[in-house]
Amino acid sequence: MRTISHAEALAEAVCECMAEDPKVTLVWGSLMGVGGGNEHVNRIKSEFADRIFHPPISEAAICAIATGAAMDGVRTVFPIGTASFMFRAWDQIVHEAGAAHYMSNGRVTAPVVFHVVHGLRGGGSVQHSQSPQSMLWNAPGIEIAIPSCPADAKGLMRTAIKSDNPTVFIDHQKLNRRTGEVPEGPYDIPFGVADIKREGRDVTIVAASLQVVQALEAAEALAADGIEAEIVDLRSLVPLDEEAILKSVEKTGRLVVADECPPRCSVASEVISVVAEKGMDLLKAPPKRVNRMPVHVPSNTDLEDFVGPGPARIEAAARAVCG
Amino acid sequence: MADARSLGIFERMILIRRFEEAVYDFHQQKLFSGHYHLYIGQEATGAAVMASLGTEDRIFSTHRNHGHLIARGADPKAALAEILSRADGTNGGRGGTFHLSAPDLGMPHTSALVGGAVPLAAGAGFAAKIAKSGGIGVSMFGDGCFEEGVVYETLNLSRLWKLPVIFVCENNTPGAVLKSAGGNNTSNLPEGRVIATPRALGIESHEVDGGDVEAVDALFTDCAERCRRTGEPIFIEALSERWPGNFYSYPDMVTGTTDMSMAWNDAGIGGEHEAWYREQDPVLRFARTLIAGGHATADDIAAIDAKATRVIAEARDFALKSPTPGTQTVQAHVLAGRV
Repeated sequence: MRTISHAEALAEAVCECMAEDPKVTLVWGSLMGVGGGNEHVNRIKSEFADRIFHPPISEAAICAIATGAAMDGVRTVFPIGTASFMFRAWDQIVHEAGAAHYMSNGRVTAPVVFHVVHGLRGGGSVQHSQSPQSMLWNAPGIEIAIPSCPADAKGLMRTAIKSDNPTVFIDHQKLNRRTGEVPEGPYDIPFGVADIKREGRDVTIVAASLQVVQALEAAEALAADGIEAEIVDLRSLVPLDEEAILKSVEKTGRLVVADECPPRCSVASEVISVVAEKGMDLLKAPPKRVNRMPVHVPSNTDLEDFVGPGPARIEAAARAVCG
Repeated sequence: MADARSLGIFERMILIRRFEEAVYDFHQQKLFSGHYHLYIGQEATGAAVMASLGTEDRIFSTHRNHGHLIARGADPKAALAEILSRADGTNGGRGGTFHLSAPDLGMPHTSALVGGAVPLAAGAGFAAKIAKSGGIGVSMFGDGCFEEGVVYETLNLSRLWKLPVIFVCENNTPGAVLKSAGGNNTSNLPEGRVIATPRALGIESHEVDGGDVEAVDALFTDCAERCRRTGEPIFIEALSERWPGNFYSYPDMVTGTTDMSMAWNDAGIGGEHEAWYREQDPVLRFARTLIAGGHATADDIAAIDAKATRVIAEARDFALKSPTPGTQTVQAHVLAGRV
């Protein structure tokens, strides 16, 4: 199978959807950071020029324009860029896009995709390193897709564009250039279906985004000592595949959740809450959260690495719950 | 204006007035809670604007939306039921006074956040441009929206991207008792006016007396035709004399239930709000215009009013009889296509 980058896989998904549906539009800043040499970027530029819009720096207005258009069935993909920037448009995403279907009693839909790049990027400092997924998870009416690899990124982006709901599509700064095997041609990956990225009998590590990559690295170190970790990649937070989480915990009896949000009310907190409510008796040991520390992200990259979850902390947490 | 068009606009204006009086009465009876906003004093603008819009057009309104919906032709029954957040309301009792909507009439979503409606309407223009539907987006909003940055962003974007959208800013600050004089806050704008901002961005911009039906109708008809043809945004600042009851945090019916006979019999006109009855109330003003121009007689006006009053009385009964939405429905429609 061919190998392409995460960003190229996304460009391919957008390109395919624009070809399939004349009502898909793209607000073109820099398409998920994909360079001009990419065949799909070139195709979007040449074939769909009348459906790409160059954005001024106006996150709030663009998110609302895309939402208003979505209510009329025009599906816009808006790569906002660094996730921190979506805070400028929080009102429009949460109160307009996220509320339209509910407030209309089911008569209106707002199919729009807000793509953001979250996380510790290496020197992003305080204002360019946010992970908004747990905050968004508190906003009803928004689907949240969060891939960890190029193949998932493509299939999830296609689903996001076709979904009748607003989707926040969350990528990680450090995933964009990573490569992986991606099937040729169109395929969709449904939301709400987690993927077991590694099978194991001893401990379940639930993760999403870059933390899946970090968990896989931790799992190799654990395996050297005979601890076999099972990695559950959530792939979407809304909807959440509770069944896959519980099934894995049933198998291993031990749980670690790796997450780049600060710990309080985080993705990790929520996953552990689900297991506590629905699978407490499956646990042989108290579960552990591995989060970004509850501090702002310093620009100094040594400090940045220190506050992040990272493979070493995930490994240590897994050893602790297996201890 | 042809008689039928004039009378059609007038019918909607008086229907809005009687609707808003019913809303006020419901609130006085504590049938719904929370603060709310009435369209009294601005009926001329909403009714005239809607007269030039068709089925392909989309309108986004604000917290002061009731008049826009009625002007567009929404059923007063469902609208009043929504005021009470009942099951038969326009939004099934989920939106209330702030969020009346009419998706089937091209009013899909009403934002009560200051400035919220402005980019959404530009989005409707965006959709019309992509789908080549021939429709336009229309945003109805107040002057206070110019305190919000997203409005500036939207004006800039609408010109950059050539979006067919008409921004109708209903500036209802003129005549307001300002906070500094012990009144309620209106907008906080250094000039009290907004038109300079869209002009600075090169957007075709007009000002109009928002209480003059014929002026608004003539201007908007022309603008709507041009917006459709060129695909370019247009801005209108409609200056409305502020209704004296639009004061403090809740409306107060200081001018009383509208007595339409004041349009032809000024014997009872006087007191603190004399200027309102004689010159400012757009409903009385247009009634006088219709009579003076020979488009209607006093009896015609009285008959139109009687019909509107009857329609609203029926709507009140309907709303009061509508059940509260059951708690078993509260989790429906969070996400489309998912349980």
